[in-house]
Amino acid sequence: MAAPSDLERWARHIVLRDVGGPGQQKIRAARVLVVGAGGLGSPILLYLAAAGIGTIGLVDDDRVSLSNLQRQVIHRLEDVGRLKVESARDAIARLDPGIAVVLHPIRLDAANADAIVAGWDVVVDGVDTLDARFVLADACERARTPLVSSGVLEFYGWLTVLEPWKTGEDGRPNPRFRDVVRRPAQGRQPTCAEVGILGVVPGVLGTLAANEVLKLVVGYGEPLVRRLLSVDLRDVGFDVLDYAAPDPGDGS
Amino acid sequence: MKITVKLFATFRQGRFKIEDRDVPVGTRVLDVLHSLDIDPADVGTLFVKGRAVEVDRVLDEGEAIAIFPLVGGG
Repeated sequence: MAAPSDLERWARHIVLRDVGGPGQQKIRAARVLVVGAGGLGSPILLYLAAAGIGTIGLVDDDRVSLSNLQRQVIHRLEDVGRLKVESARDAIARLDPGIAVVLHPIRLDAANADAIVAGWDVVVDGVDTLDARFVLADACERARTPLVSSGVLEFYGWLTVLEPWKTGEDGRPNPRFRDVVRRPAQGRQPTCAEVGILGVVPGVLGTLAANEVLKLVVGYGEPLVRRLLSVDLRDVGFDVLDYAAPDPGDGS
Repeated sequence: MKITVKLFATFRQGRFKIEDRDVPVGTRVLDVLHSLDIDPADVGTLFVKGRAVEVDRVLDEGEAIAIFPLVGGG
């Protein structure tokens, strides 16, 4: 942080109100786990690395394929066939070799989630199914680690921040992931491979997710806790819906 | 009674973003889904007054229901 090149690298943050030198030091001290190095994971990782997050964890068992490059902008043509976590690690190092990167070239599941999630300041969800999001959200709730969660499909996406172990100003617990999304029946959830995804959609949602991480780390603004952002890039519309945990005793 | 229906993402295609509807007293969320030709199994998020609800929730006068499809890619 003290090196002159560091002051130059983060000069636009250091002069920025509500970030400044202290905020940049928080960013450098932060440990952020990104689960999924695909469509959402790509902009999340690039912006977190550019911002100077000091330690970044990567979880993904997949390899880069040609059909990924339309949206997974952290990977290049010459990375096709490589593990996504290794391709992403190299991209992060090209931006800033001072970032420590922890690789988990495995698929997150109920058996390994607690161990993977342990010890991080913030976890970011860039997984590719709602089932995996439930597993990740449950593990983050047990670990009491803030989770920045988003999903994309076709021209659309959503984003929210989950801290269900905390209570809000009304004294009520914050909502859990299951208070946002219903658990889908087996085989019901459409995938990007089946119905498609406009490449810029995860670009927009992943960039907004990276902003939520920086809000949590630095402390500026209000994180999207108890709020669901819905993005429609077909017509271009942003809606923010307030939501809460079910009322006690409410059977619905 | 009057209710407001807000649709999101793919549910807007061929339908609408927001619409006020006149429905009989006792109308459930499921009845609204049927009237829109939306299969409940395709619904990812259902909010009434900012709370997640089940499809058998009976709607009250003036309530707004927000309906999202399953959007789970990444």
